Amino acid sequence: MDELSQETARSPRPLLVVDGVSKYFGALAAVDNLSFEVMPGEVLGIGGPNGAGKTTLFDVITGLDRASSGHILFAGDDITRAGPERICHAGIARTFQLNAGFDTLSVRENIEVAAIYGHEAPVFPGFRVRPVIRRRVDEALELSGLTDRATTPAGELAVLERKLLMVATAIVTQPRLLMLDEPVGGLTQAEMDAFVAMLARIRGEGMAIILIEHVMRFLVTLADRVLIMHHGERIYEGRPDDLANDRRVVDVYLGDGAADLIRAALDPGAAP
Amino acid sequence: MTAFRRDLAIGVVLVAIAAAVPFLFPVRYVITQMTLLFIYAIVVTQWNLVLGVAGIFSLAQMALFACGAYATAMLGLYLDWSLWAAMPAGAVIAVVAGLLVGLACLRLKGPYVALLTLALAQVAYLVIITDTDCFIRTETRCEPFTGGASGLRRFGDLGLREWLGRDWIIGNYFVGLGLLVAAMTFSVAVVKGPLGLAFRALRDNLGYARSRGISQFKYQLVVFALSAFFTGLAGAFYAAHFKSVGPTIFSFSLLLLLLAMIVVGGLGTIWGPIVGATLVMFADEGLREVQDFRTLGLGLTLALFVLLLPDGLTGTASRLLARWRGSGS
Ligand SMILES: Nc1ncnc2c1ncn2[C@@H]1O[C@H](COP(=O)(O)OP(=O)(O)OP(=O)(O)O)[C@@H](O)[C@H]1O
Ligand SMILES: [Mg+2]
Repeated sequence: MDELSQETARSPRPLLVVDGVSKYFGALAAVDNLSFEVMPGEVLGIGGPNGAGKTTLFDVITGLDRASSGHILFAGDDITRAGPERICHAGIARTFQLNAGFDTLSVRENIEVAAIYGHEAPVFPGFRVRPVIRRRVDEALELSGLTDRATTPAGELAVLERKLLMVATAIVTQPRLLMLDEPVGGLTQAEMDAFVAMLARIRGEGMAIILIEHVMRFLVTLADRVLIMHHGERIYEGRPDDLANDRRVVDVYLGDGAADLIRAALDPGAAP
Repeated sequence: MTAFRRDLAIGVVLVAIAAAVPFLFPVRYVITQMTLLFIYAIVVTQWNLVLGVAGIFSLAQMALFACGAYATAMLGLYLDWSLWAAMPAGAVIAVVAGLLVGLACLRLKGPYVALLTLALAQVAYLVIITDTDCFIRTETRCEPFTGGASGLRRFGDLGLREWLGRDWIIGNYFVGLGLLVAAMTFSVAVVKGPLGLAFRALRDNLGYARSRGISQFKYQLVVFALSAFFTGLAGAFYAAHFKSVGPTIFSFSLLLLLLAMIVVGGLGTIWGPIVGATLVMFADEGLREVQDFRTLGLGLTLALFVLLLPDGLTGTASRLLARWRGSGS
């Protein structure tokens, strides 16, 4: 048993509780009476076909959209009706599927603004960036490997760099839960490996992570637990290594070929 | 740091030139027009915070200016305040009005902000010009509370005539220049600091900015309030300098003139508003002979810049400079 799961065992209080949450767009239930929990330091992977409601679930948890019904608790506090700013200050930071950025701000400024406003709401932010903030920004630049790009406007970055920057602006708010929406979609194999390395370092700091990803190899190698959604509902929740053996998941989402690849990814020794 | 030094050097040179003008050209008309230029430049640097830096398309700036001007005139006229006290009070009243405008625009996007703010300014204008009830009635005169269509006068001045005599107008010139320097320093400090980052982040991507803890509610109100302060003060100084205020400050052609200053100079840039104010003011001066074409000329200039140089002169210049440096190295 590694350190993280021991810590989880010592503090059995879940960090995030999603309790019977639904989100309707008209008659469409994008998220349909979904319940799950995330423990401190845990990595939960979420998969499911296009339109399954994964991004909507993120929007509802992070306050960009409001749940139609149900409750969301974070560290014991009800955040169901809180706005995105308050949820960020509570300790949840997310990235976006469509690579978001403050395009006219430099890479450094992107991280600075998140560092100044993201951890707690300053009463008055002052006229200069404080040295503590500068140090945190330097660390985030270093962690994301963007130090060389610090003065480049975010709008000029390549896809990988934009994704890294989004993660950097998220972690600089010092969250307890990091939520990543398709962090490696569209990246090459080598870029994906760089991303995995960075996430490993973040995990080392004890942050819990929820991760949406279509790239199953990536999802199952990082996640402690996997949740598969379909039509807004949960069709699977459990260990990643059982995923490929679940008939419903294979039928609805993976297909037989992908299931074999997952087995191979989890057990590199065995031939598919 | 080097950028800061450069901006400081530019600022010092500009102030030195401006300070020499009344002695090099001791002509009343020149001094008056330059003072007016300072007033407009203050409005434009502050408007730029909302329009350029925060990207909120508010057209209420001249209404806030009017708040400062009218408040100063009324405090002087009805309460006999010294204008030196009435001016900051006028600025504070403009801040309150700015907060209300910001609040009203909070849920609106792009063009709707422009429509609402224009409508608010129009309402203020109509309230003033349709005000005909006598507030002060003597045998010879009847003055409405707001001054109505003919405006307010006889509310005092800055009192510089007492010590400067005929040169009081130069005294006022330097008060105007001082206010412009203060307003400019203030807006640069805001733009370059954490507040500027928040405004720009909200402008670039609202949902993302909110998800990084930047409160749209708070900082939209903050930018309106900050930009209203010196705008109101400029209005207050306008009233004190010209010793009269009238509803003409709500006129559409004046709004267009100031908008042209921002667009020509470059939206959201530091020096743009100053460059734009100066150029447009001089161009407007050139067109004074042909009154009928002034508004037309302004409209055309505005349209050409929006179409051909949307970054304005300073924006385009710094981009060219960056490209030239890039190809040089
Ligand atoms: N603002 C909206 N208004 C109406 N319908 C919406 C809205 N946002 C999402 N939907 C619908 O809700 C469903 C879930 O969409 P969502 O984006 O959450 O799926 P997803 O699982 O993230 O898919 P993908 O893997 O393609 O990113 C889809 O049918 C989508 O069309
Ligand atoms: Mg999605």
